[in-house]
Amino acid sequence: MSTPTGYDQVRLVDPFEIHVGPAFVRGERGRRRYALEARADHCNMRGVVHGGMLMTLADMMLGQAVWDATDNAACVTMNMQVQFLKPAKAGDLIEVEPDITRRTRSLVFMRGDFTVAGEVIMAVQSVWKLFAAE
Amino acid sequence: MESVAESLPEGAQNISIGGFNRFAGPFYRLPDDGDIRRFAFVALDKHMNSAGSVHGGVLMTFADIAMSRTSRLSTGANACSTVSFSCEFMAPGHLADLIEIRVRVSRRTKGFVFLSADIACEARALMQASGLWRIG
Repeated sequence: MSTPTGYDQVRLVDPFEIHVGPAFVRGERGRRRYALEARADHCNMRGVVHGGMLMTLADMMLGQAVWDATDNAACVTMNMQVQFLKPAKAGDLIEVEPDITRRTRSLVFMRGDFTVAGEVIMAVQSVWKLFAAE
Repeated sequence: MESVAESLPEGAQNISIGGFNRFAGPFYRLPDDGDIRRFAFVALDKHMNSAGSVHGGVLMTFADIAMSRTSRLSTGANACSTVSFSCEFMAPGHLADLIEIRVRVSRRTKGFVFLSADIACEARALMQASGLWRIG
């Protein structure tokens, strides 16, 4: 699979993310954009990208954004709220520019609109817990 | 994989026949407990994150598969699609854990199914989930 124009490959470390990857990133710190090209493996029997795959993507990419904002702090997903607005299919480039809504010492509140060709296919809100470095 | 088959409860039926379900699985349906639909999987190496826990995406995929299947079973529809899904992660799953989900239909209308579910490894609660499925 070729790297989309303007993107670099994300160095994935989680076995399940490597299994569903590759993923791509571009842009400056604090305004990064992440992308994944959907393929047949990601789709259900009706030929659209599986909801579980989209939520896996949400966990991956919001997690990358939390790491980016915290110098790779150890963190876990506390919750995830997802709206599925439109189907995506194999060959689609799914992109997101995650937003940090609020950050405290121990929590990061995230949101992200996942798009295909500029149209939102999935809207996600998620809270992440940070573990202190000491 | 023999060790997986050995740790599955009696009556477990592989439902991961194709697509992402198979790529991410295998996932199994267990015999119903009254009105509660039950499903399970065994956490494999590929399901992990780098911290040694089951990846959140795997638990959400498992929940989406089990809850979508429950929507179809409870309505007789050939297809149901996830409209919204919400979950809280309460504790991590570990390698080789037998992870079970119990799905309940909270309400069914002509067009929609409202579901809630609990995911656990034995007595350890891992995740709670709820969501809305559109019939057809």
